[in-house]
Amino acid sequence: MSECILVVDDDREIVRAISILLEGEGYEVLKAYDGIQALDILASRQVRLVLIDVMMPKLDGLSALMRIREKQNIPVIVLSAKSEETDKVLGLSMGADDYVSKPYNPQELAARVKSQLRRYTCLGDVNAGNRIGEIRNGRLLYRTDEKVLYADGEPIRLTAKETGIMDLLMRNPGRIFPAEEIYRRVWEEDAFASENTVMVHIRRIREKLELNPKEPEYLKVVWGIGYKMEKH
Amino acid sequence: MDTKWKSIKRALSFLIFFLGVSLTLWNLSGLLRRMPERISAWKSGELLANDYQQSWEFQNHITNRLESFLSIAVNGCPSGWDYYGWDDYYDYGWNTATTDSMADSAVVLQEAQAMEDTIASYADILAAGEDYWENTDFWESNGVYDYEDYEEFLEEYEILIEDYQRYVTGRSVTESAPGDWSWTDDWSWESRQELTEKQRELRDQQMERMTRMYFADIEQDRNLLYSISSDGKLLYTNSELLVADGSMQAPEGYNFLLYFDGEKVRIMKDGQELDVYGDGYYRDEGRDWYVPGYRNFPVSDDMKKVVICMAAAKEPVLYTTGIDQSGGYRRQNNALYWMQYYNTRSWKLLRWNLTGFAAGLALLFFSCFCRKGRLEAIERIAVFQGKIWVECKLLILALLLAGGVSGYLGDGCYGYNVWYEFSYAYDVVCETGGAAEALGEYGGAILTSLLYMPLFLVLLFWAVYLTVNDLRHNKRIWRKGLIAKVCHAYSARELKLPLARRMVHRNVILSGVIAASGVWMLFVAVTFVHEYGGRWGSRKIGVIILWCLLITVCILAVAYLMGKKNVGVARDVDELSDRIREICNGNYSGNYGCSTGLQAEGTAAGDSHAETGDRERRFVGHELGDTMAQLENIRQGMASAVDEQMKSERMKVELIANVSHDIKTPLTSIISYVQFLKEEKDLPEHVQDYVKILDEKSQRLKNMVQDVFAVSKAASGELPMNMEKLDFGKLLRQTMADMDEEIQNSSVSFRAELPEEPVMIMADGQRMYRVFQNLFQNALKYSLAGSRVYVTLKTDATLAVASVKNTSHMELDEDKNFTERFVRGDKSRTDGGSGLGLSIAQSFTEACGGQFGIEFNADLFIVNISFGIVEG
Repeated sequence: MSECILVVDDDREIVRAISILLEGEGYEVLKAYDGIQALDILASRQVRLVLIDVMMPKLDGLSALMRIREKQNIPVIVLSAKSEETDKVLGLSMGADDYVSKPYNPQELAARVKSQLRRYTCLGDVNAGNRIGEIRNGRLLYRTDEKVLYADGEPIRLTAKETGIMDLLMRNPGRIFPAEEIYRRVWEEDAFASENTVMVHIRRIREKLELNPKEPEYLKVVWGIGYKMEKH
Repeated sequence: MDTKWKSIKRALSFLIFFLGVSLTLWNLSGLLRRMPERISAWKSGELLANDYQQSWEFQNHITNRLESFLSIAVNGCPSGWDYYGWDDYYDYGWNTATTDSMADSAVVLQEAQAMEDTIASYADILAAGEDYWENTDFWESNGVYDYEDYEEFLEEYEILIEDYQRYVTGRSVTESAPGDWSWTDDWSWESRQELTEKQRELRDQQMERMTRMYFADIEQDRNLLYSISSDGKLLYTNSELLVADGSMQAPEGYNFLLYFDGEKVRIMKDGQELDVYGDGYYRDEGRDWYVPGYRNFPVSDDMKKVVICMAAAKEPVLYTTGIDQSGGYRRQNNALYWMQYYNTRSWKLLRWNLTGFAAGLALLFFSCFCRKGRLEAIERIAVFQGKIWVECKLLILALLLAGGVSGYLGDGCYGYNVWYEFSYAYDVVCETGGAAEALGEYGGAILTSLLYMPLFLVLLFWAVYLTVNDLRHNKRIWRKGLIAKVCHAYSARELKLPLARRMVHRNVILSGVIAASGVWMLFVAVTFVHEYGGRWGSRKIGVIILWCLLITVCILAVAYLMGKKNVGVARDVDELSDRIREICNGNYSGNYGCSTGLQAEGTAAGDSHAETGDRERRFVGHELGDTMAQLENIRQGMASAVDEQMKSERMKVELIANVSHDIKTPLTSIISYVQFLKEEKDLPEHVQDYVKILDEKSQRLKNMVQDVFAVSKAASGELPMNMEKLDFGKLLRQTMADMDEEIQNSSVSFRAELPEEPVMIMADGQRMYRVFQNLFQNALKYSLAGSRVYVTLKTDATLAVASVKNTSHMELDEDKNFTERFVRGDKSRTDGGSGLGLSIAQSFTEACGGQFGIEFNADLFIVNISFGIVEG
């Protein structure tokens, strides 16, 4: 049985575009055009994920989000034309699981939906305790004994050097590593003109790992200092 | 209620302290002065006994009396010392009862003695002169006649003889006519003898008279009984009761008995015999009785047959005798009565002093318990003191001290005067010529004399105490006062403008010259009047001098006022220039610190009318008020213009935010459906081309919307910044690594010249990445194919400068401002950029606190970005 996704936006064309996109991925899509409708549908149907716009007539997205959170713990992705940091922080702090700013990249949106659903359905509660030999960070999971990295529960194929970098970064989330240090510890050679090499590898890992490699959420560059794994 | 109680408590605790100190000092001074010399302070029993016979005066009186009696018994005449006595006016001076006659006789006696001596000496000199006259040869050994010596001798000799003549004829013998003494030429030894004989006769008469009067004076004074006998024969006595037989039996009511048996003196007091002689040697400084009989003060042969007995009453009474002829009363000597009277009085005072001293100490002890209140009170007093001009304080201080001294001067009955000490010290200074020496010797005496003045001591203490208090609590007390005020009025310290400073300095010189010439005029006028105004009369002179004084004071006042006004103008000029400078520096708000006390004003443009009125009122006192007000208008105009500009900038950002949001919603649909179109497989070739163009342009539109939003936010200063310390070189390397792919795929190559060691700056890494990304993209986009882009980072001690240099593929227009929004190298705007790259780079760099500069030289395009280096 296909999973049911509720898309809420006052712009019908956008709702339609998203439903085409998601139906193409094999989901069942329910449509609503304001917050009240969305709440009605949620009350009557079993919905696995909500995509909701912020600026809507009758009941705006954030208020609707609060109402949803009173009853259900399903993943909610907020979709908004407001792209500033403060808006994102506001949305996430009101209980959104993810925030996608318009104009969105269709592939990225699909990937985010998939990711949220997989985490919700496959992995269960995100806050479940870590097992020994497992390092969990957001949608990433690293098994130290197998040296395998999972994103949304799916193993990611990495080369030896990439695994080395991820091993180092996953074990020290939040810590900033200068390129020289990464090079010395992974390549086990003296660092010389290491910046480019490390950067190339980081970029490759990002392409495999991040939902939008251009705006990475996990593997971040700290400009002028080094690289780090963002803690989620 | 609480505060009232507190202030009462404060006042009380200070009052206790004040009274304690004042009482202690006052009475301490009294004690020091009244403490009997012969009684040590620790022998309190003796101190409080109030026995006049213990006093030094009594001992002195008795010994003097004994000396006189001995003198009478031996010579028939009392010694000179005993004419002094006590009475109710003076502690120690002429006894009024005996005065006239006694004094006369004493003086005559002394004169007679002196004359005898003088005559003898004159006689000797004259004899010597005669001798000299006869025997001296004025021919010196070398045969030269010393005429001058001879003349001198003659002169002196004549003066001497004249002197002698005058003396003898004028003064001495009233009985004999001056004519009897015409001996100038036939002056002889006989006549001299005769003279001396007559003198002696006279003296004997006088002595008899004196003795008679002496006893007339003391006879009826039964406070002191006496009996004088010589060779077993009773010469004088005033009491039958006194038995001079060495039995040492004092009559009733007399507790002091002195007996001189021709060898030694024995004294009985209260039935006990005193040890008169001690170890047998007389010492002048101690408590020794000044009577003969010591080993170093033996009895002379004349005295050996004399026996004297004296008895002093325990409680002396005042004896007065009615007088026959004149019908008046005559007081007896009564020395012992007055002695006891004064002793009792001073004993009472001493007791008061002791009580007061004890009370003062007790109050001081109490005041230890309310120290806090006292300190608070002192602080209050200090606050009050802080408000007084320092000149007033000095005047009050001087008046207080002068009052203390003069109060003491008026206090004549103490018989001791500070001026005695001062004048004595002055004399000594004049005589010896050594001020320091005199001070060393008599300074102590003067200080002691000050200690003996209770009022002065107390005032001195409070003067010092209050001065110290003032100095401790009030910082820089010299700042408050007339002189300080004048200095402050003429001070150029706060002025910044050199012109204003010069104005003040010139003005100081001008005012000084005027004031000095005023004073000089007064001086000249006074000198003139003093010199030539002799015949005008003192009243006229006084009026003239008063007028001169008045005019001088007027001149001084005018000089001061004019000077102050001029300094005020200089200050206004300074303030005006200050304001202009502030406005120049871009501070239009009017909120800068106003040195002249102008209050800061709000910038609310709403009630500008009220504000203007207020401002104009504030400039009323200014000489340059109009100019200031006009400047203020300019400032306000500029401020509102700047405000306006800021407001419109903010509105622009808001507008852009709204527009970009409104554009984003349809753009989302466009991008989504273009995506679907792109995924359609069955489209004809040319349609696929169209879709591709749609895709590209919609992506560009998306980028542009985001860029416009970012740059407008950065320009309005609303961009949130995350400043941190980072390595500039590493940032450049990372950015180049990040864009490695684009660089590799382009037709240009990058040459980087970056230092290995870290170059730390403060910036927002994300924003600076964006800056260099834009710069590199620009370089890639606009460089001549096959050319090189140079990326360098150069540092000096404080500054790190990153440069990106590339060779443009087309001609650069020198008049173009490249950082202006939507400006691009070419005007056609078809090359895919948003036209905001450099603008964003500049805004972000400046928002991070760096500096952004563009240079170009022919086709070489250089961007410099500099940051201050921070310590690693």
